[in-house]
Amino acid sequence: MKNSWILDKNHLSYWLRQLRKDRELIGPLRRYNHDIVFRTVEEIHEIALDCPASLPSPKEFLFPQYERMLRAGDLSSGRRVQDLRTERPRVIFGVRACDVSAVMLLDRFFLDNSKDPYYDSRRRNTLFVSVVCNNPDPTCFCAGLQTGPYLERGFDIQLTDLGDRYFVQADSREGIRTISATGFLFNRPKKSDYDDQYEVFLSAKAHFQKIISLDGPRQAILLGRVHDEFWQGVTDRCFECGGCVYECPLCTCFTVTDRSYEDGTERIRLWDTCLFKGFTRMAGGVLPNENRILRTKRWYYHKLIHYPDLLGSFGCVGCGRCTITCPGKIDMATIATKIKGLSLNGDLG
Amino acid sequence: MKAPRKKKSGGNIYLPFPGRVEKIFKKTGDVNLYRVQMTKPVSYSPGQFFMVSLWGVGEVPISIASLQERKDTIEFCIRKAGFVTGAIHSLKEGETLWLRGPYGNGFSTDSVLGRDVVVVAGGIGIVPLRPIIQWFIKKRTDVKSVTLLYGSRTPDDVVFTDEVEEWRKGGIKVVVTVDRGRSGWTGNVGLVTTLWHEARINYKESVAFICGPEIMIRAAMQDLFFFGMPDESIVTTLEAHMKCGIGKCGHCYASEKYVCTDGPVFTFKEIKEFALLEGYNT
Repeated sequence: MKNSWILDKNHLSYWLRQLRKDRELIGPLRRYNHDIVFRTVEEIHEIALDCPASLPSPKEFLFPQYERMLRAGDLSSGRRVQDLRTERPRVIFGVRACDVSAVMLLDRFFLDNSKDPYYDSRRRNTLFVSVVCNNPDPTCFCAGLQTGPYLERGFDIQLTDLGDRYFVQADSREGIRTISATGFLFNRPKKSDYDDQYEVFLSAKAHFQKIISLDGPRQAILLGRVHDEFWQGVTDRCFECGGCVYECPLCTCFTVTDRSYEDGTERIRLWDTCLFKGFTRMAGGVLPNENRILRTKRWYYHKLIHYPDLLGSFGCVGCGRCTITCPGKIDMATIATKIKGLSLNGDLG
Repeated sequence: MKAPRKKKSGGNIYLPFPGRVEKIFKKTGDVNLYRVQMTKPVSYSPGQFFMVSLWGVGEVPISIASLQERKDTIEFCIRKAGFVTGAIHSLKEGETLWLRGPYGNGFSTDSVLGRDVVVVAGGIGIVPLRPIIQWFIKKRTDVKSVTLLYGSRTPDDVVFTDEVEEWRKGGIKVVVTVDRGRSGWTGNVGLVTTLWHEARINYKESVAFICGPEIMIRAAMQDLFFFGMPDESIVTTLEAHMKCGIGKCGHCYASEKYVCTDGPVFTFKEIKEFALLEGYNT
C-alpha cells in the first residue's frame, strides 16, 4: 500500500513536538479521577493512549458546545458586525477510528448543500491522527458497523501499534503532506510490518464483546414490526437528560441565542436536543412534539432510518458512549439488541 | 517543517445584513406590515422566508409578504406572538431589522398555468399567500380563475381588509368569512371550509394553495382530497421553529424533511408520505 511508513516509538514524542510547533496539539489526557478527556497537550508524556475511550466525543473541537458566532458592537459606533470564526490550526492526536468515521459523516452533514461556515473553518484547520484500537472497551460495537476498530480510507493519518513501532498510514492530502514534512522520521515498511499490522487488525476485531448490526433493527422498523407499545416502554425509561445527545459524535442539533454585554452583543450557538420538550416550540406556544413518545422515536428514527436515507450511513458509529451515559439503559446498543430479540421471538409488540 | 497554512473559509451564511424599516402599516390590533429597504439587492420569490433578527433579542423565521417589485425592497407582515416578534413591534420607522435569506423552496407557479386556482387562508396564514395573490393579479391571464377563501377570527382580525378591494379589481374572487361577527357585519360567518361552493370550479382539475392554523390546513386538505383534487395539486406552507434556515440546527426537522430547506411549501402528497402534520403519522 502506498503512503505507509514505520515510526519508531522512540520518535513519537519528537514527531509530536514537531507537529506542535505550528499547531495546537490536542490529545487524550487522563484526569485525576481517571476520566479520559481531549484537551490541549502541555506535556507529551501525559497523552493516554492505552485507556478507554474519551467520554465527551472529540466532536466538540469541530462543533463546540458553546460557539461564539457573531459580535455586534455598540449602537453608537454604527453596529459593525464582526465574524468570530476561528482559523486556528490544530492536530487532534489519538482519536479512535469510530470518531474519525463520525467526522466523515459530520463533514457530509455540515458541508454538503449549504455549508456551515463555523464547522467548515474548524474542519479545514484540523488534522486527525487516529490510532487503531487493539483493545476495544466492553461498550464498543464499531466492528459490526464497519466504522472501526481500524479504517481503510477517509482518515488523515492512522497509527497501528505494533509494540515497539507504529505502522503509519496517510490517506488525505493534508495527512501525506504532514508526514513528508518530517519524512526523515518515517521508514518504508517491510513485508513483516504489513503482516504484523494485519495481525493487529484481526486480533482487534476478535476482542469485541458486542457485535451489533443495525440493519436488522432498521428493517424491523421499516416493516412496521416495532409497535408503539415497544416505543412507549423505551419512552418510560427516558429521563430526557440529553446525555446521549451530548456524548454522541453524530448528534448535531443546536440553538442560537443572543447574549448582551456592556460593549455589544454576541450571537452564540449551543448544543440542543430533540429530546427536550421545548425544542420545537413556536412563538405563541404551539408545540408540535409535545408527545414524549414522538420525541423518543425521533432520536432512534433519525439515526436508524433517516440518516441512512439521507447520508447513506447509520447515524451511529458504535462508539458506545450512550451505553455509558444513559441512566435508563435505553442506549442504541441495548435498543438494537432488544428489537432484534423481538424479531427472533416473533413477539413484535 | 513547513508551517501549515491557515486555511481561510468563504462567506458566512449566518451573517445578517441591515434593512431600514421604511414604513410601518398597522394592520390589526396585533399585526403590523413592515416595508423594509434592504442595504443590498436580494431576489426572492413567493413562499420563501427570511431569518429576521434584532441584536440582543434573537432571530426568527418570517415569511415574505410581498411580490418582488424593486430589488432592494421587501415587506414582512408580523403578528406579535412571542419574544422576538414582540420586540419587532416596538420598532419605529427608520430603525433597523437584520436580515438573512431568502430561504426555502417557495411556491412553484408552473402547475397553475391555464388552470383554476383556489387560495385558502386562515388568519395570519394569509401572509405567505399574499405574494402569490399579487403574482396572480400580475399574471391574471396565465390562470383560468382565482378564488380566495379568506377566514379570520373576527372582522377586526382581517389583516388585509384594505387590500381586498384591490385584489377584487385585479380579477380575483375574494370571499371573506369570520368565526365571530359583530353588529353591522353583513359578511359570512363560519369556517373557511364552508365556502367551497363559492369557487364554482371543477376541483378535480384545479390547484389549491393553503395556509393557516394547522387544524385548518388539515381540514382543507382533507376536503379537497374528497373532492378529487390530486394530492400533488394541494399545496400548503408549514411553519416551524427554526434557528438556522439552512437545514443544520434540527429544530424544523420532521421525518427526513427539513421545513426550512425541503419546504416550507409542501404538497399533500409529501405531507402524507412523510407524516409532516399530526394525524398523518406513519
